[in-house]
Amino acid sequence: MARTTLPTLAAASLCAVLAGAAGGLTAPAYGKDIVLRMAVPDWPPTRIMKELADKSYKAPSGNKVTLEPDFIPWPDYYTRLAASLTSGEKKYNMAVSDSQWLGAFIEGGYYLKINKYVDADPALQAVFKDLHPAVRAAYSTYPYKTDNLYGFPQMPDILVSYYRKDVFCDETEQKNFMAKYKYKLPCTGEEMDKTTWDMFRDYGEFFMRKKGDTLAGKALDDDFYGVAFQAGKAYDFSTTTVHQFLWQHGGDIWDETKAPNSHAVGVVNSPVAVKSFEHMLSLLKYMPPVAKTGGMDVFKTDELFREGKLAYNVNWIGFAETGMSPATSKVSDKVAFAQAPGLKTDKDKDMVRWSQIGGQPFVLMTWNSEETNQEALAFCKWWLSKDTQIAFAKGGGQSALKSVYTDPQYVTFRPWNRAWAPQLDWQKDFWHVPEFFELLTEQQEQYDKAITGQQDAKKSLDTIANFQEKLLKDAGRIK
Amino acid sequence: MSVRSSEFFTLRWSNWPLALAAAVVVIPLAVATLPSGVAFWITGLAVALVVSTLVVRAAGRHARRYAGGLLVAPALAVLFVMNIFPLLWSFGLSFYNYRANRMAPPTFAGLDYYERVVSDPTVWDRLHTTAIIVVLTVTAQMVVGFLLALLFAREFPLRRYLLILVLTPMMLSYVAMGAFFRYYYEPTFGLLSQTVLLLTGERYVLLQSTVGAMAGIVFADAWMWSPFVMLLVLSGLVSVPKYLYEAAAIDRVSPWRRFWAITFPYIRSLLLLALLFRTIEAFKLFDIVFLLTEGGPGSSTETIAIYVYRIAFQYFRTSDSTALAYILLFTVIVLTNLYLYFARQRARET
Repeated sequence: MARTTLPTLAAASLCAVLAGAAGGLTAPAYGKDIVLRMAVPDWPPTRIMKELADKSYKAPSGNKVTLEPDFIPWPDYYTRLAASLTSGEKKYNMAVSDSQWLGAFIEGGYYLKINKYVDADPALQAVFKDLHPAVRAAYSTYPYKTDNLYGFPQMPDILVSYYRKDVFCDETEQKNFMAKYKYKLPCTGEEMDKTTWDMFRDYGEFFMRKKGDTLAGKALDDDFYGVAFQAGKAYDFSTTTVHQFLWQHGGDIWDETKAPNSHAVGVVNSPVAVKSFEHMLSLLKYMPPVAKTGGMDVFKTDELFREGKLAYNVNWIGFAETGMSPATSKVSDKVAFAQAPGLKTDKDKDMVRWSQIGGQPFVLMTWNSEETNQEALAFCKWWLSKDTQIAFAKGGGQSALKSVYTDPQYVTFRPWNRAWAPQLDWQKDFWHVPEFFELLTEQQEQYDKAITGQQDAKKSLDTIANFQEKLLKDAGRIK
Repeated sequence: MSVRSSEFFTLRWSNWPLALAAAVVVIPLAVATLPSGVAFWITGLAVALVVSTLVVRAAGRHARRYAGGLLVAPALAVLFVMNIFPLLWSFGLSFYNYRANRMAPPTFAGLDYYERVVSDPTVWDRLHTTAIIVVLTVTAQMVVGFLLALLFAREFPLRRYLLILVLTPMMLSYVAMGAFFRYYYEPTFGLLSQTVLLLTGERYVLLQSTVGAMAGIVFADAWMWSPFVMLLVLSGLVSVPKYLYEAAAIDRVSPWRRFWAITFPYIRSLLLLALLFRTIEAFKLFDIVFLLTEGGPGSSTETIAIYVYRIAFQYFRTSDSTALAYILLFTVIVLTNLYLYFARQRARET
């Protein structure tokens, strides 16, 4: 055995070298197979995209382009994407990214700046012009609200209210509600759009029922609750709601667009911020008890609603498709949608509806070859073309293109579409800076202490403000 | 000289100097000229070639002398590649200013990060939390495991089947456990809340308070790992020779005395081993806490392991996290040696 000569092996390795080199050189000049590998969260909006792409996408270049999404469950998504990007494996050509991750991954050198492609391509310019400015700022820009472009909307998303029409429209409930609160219990979508946080409180109080009580003419076999919004410890599941209240009351978060002169102390813990947070906390007692544990994330409120334990829930549109499907929802035929609640301080004043934008852009990677980039951009153009966007909206997605969502037909696609356009003007995003996760985690921790009753709103916000001020100073973002 | 050079060029499976020389030429060439994906495999092939010539040579000439080493070589290689190398690499990083998600190359920072980590009040707070959890959960596991072992040391009907049942928690994955207990404690659907509702008419929200959350975590962890302690203690109990008990019975020794004089010496070292294992594991506790409370309410159940995860993979403060991780590793090693020292001393006494 020791006598076996080396040449065989040497020849084999030489062959491998040559084959490897040749593989890169000898490709035909036309009709290439190109695969766009994309990291995506596993949920309906990305599944629909894959389906549409397989069915109808033909690359204009003549190449055979296949979209190969890597479906990753939501709870692991950030960790998995971050691990892939930072490890240097260069596995993906594109990724669906939460907008607040932009800074972290752009500073890391992973997400590609697309300005030069946009400047050279009138079709792309048209797309950005057609895009709603709030969505463009949130999904495409870093630093936030500048002209540096990085992403295209994949699934734009906002908070809407999900409600049970069988409960809200029931005659007896209507009568009892009127007797108790002296105004009509909303039933239609148009009526429900006018929901204020005071009404939200009333729904919560009114519909909180014990096992055995009657609800809409039926005896309940378990406890029932009126309202819910997200107020969870993980990720951004309380920040979303806190920001909604904060902005509606007229407060603000640390403003990165005014750095280095903007501060956290005095803003984050301003009297109006404290008031808005206290307002939010005061509503928790009308929700299922899990709200007191920090476990009230979007998945939990969605589950409670689908299990038929809630009359009214504020959640992302992204969950709507599963709420409507009989396979996943006990209330599939009873759910209706309206705009998320707003703040009305005075009878004569207009409703204020500021809200934290959700949804995700998709981005290109810096290590793509020029050819891949061209194909990726062509894919984005196809995705943001009117026909595809309409097909996407019909399948359960949303479009942030004015030409699409202002089409009179748009509101007929899915039952929540009517809540979409009127709320778009009210969307803001939180920070895009790379330090966002530290800013966010501190908030989540301190909010959670207030939500679980460990400390009051003022103490939480003071702690957050001091922490963020120090962090941002240390990072050199503010003076 | 000429004999040597001709030997050098002979193509033989045992000619490791030639293979090494070839590898030294081929690897840089491949790295320089070929795409990284291809170069990677060629490098791997070349290394494999060198290793196999070494193995063949050693097997041929000194089979006896090197057999042991050769047999453990693959395991060592895997350990080195998967464990020791990354460990050393990250140890190096802890002395540099580096963030895994930034383009900036690492700059030397000396012991700065160790100083920062040690003087960070958050770290001490998380260590404090971890210590509380360790003490509570390990105590609970030792007591419950020990009592279970005493129970199962006797013969009774269905013993074997019950034993298997009792051992199941330890075989479940952490994620399954976390999901299970999350629902168990959940105030709307959860079994615990439903049971309390039945008894008192009020729902029970365990995870609302810091004490409740801590209790929930300790209970879940103890539920999972008490069987492990039981298994170890049980093996000690069944190894006690019967004649000792018979002799004790003849001497009319009290059960208490019988336990301390006969049973305990047999299980003492095993108890220490269980204590050691469980302390180290509990010190690193991550999964259950992360799945059940995410460290909440607030940060009251955030263990040091979760904090390391946050600074490493959420904040991407790579240097801080590696420095902290090394301090923790050092702590665990010290703990291990402390226990081993005591274990040995006790063994010498008996």
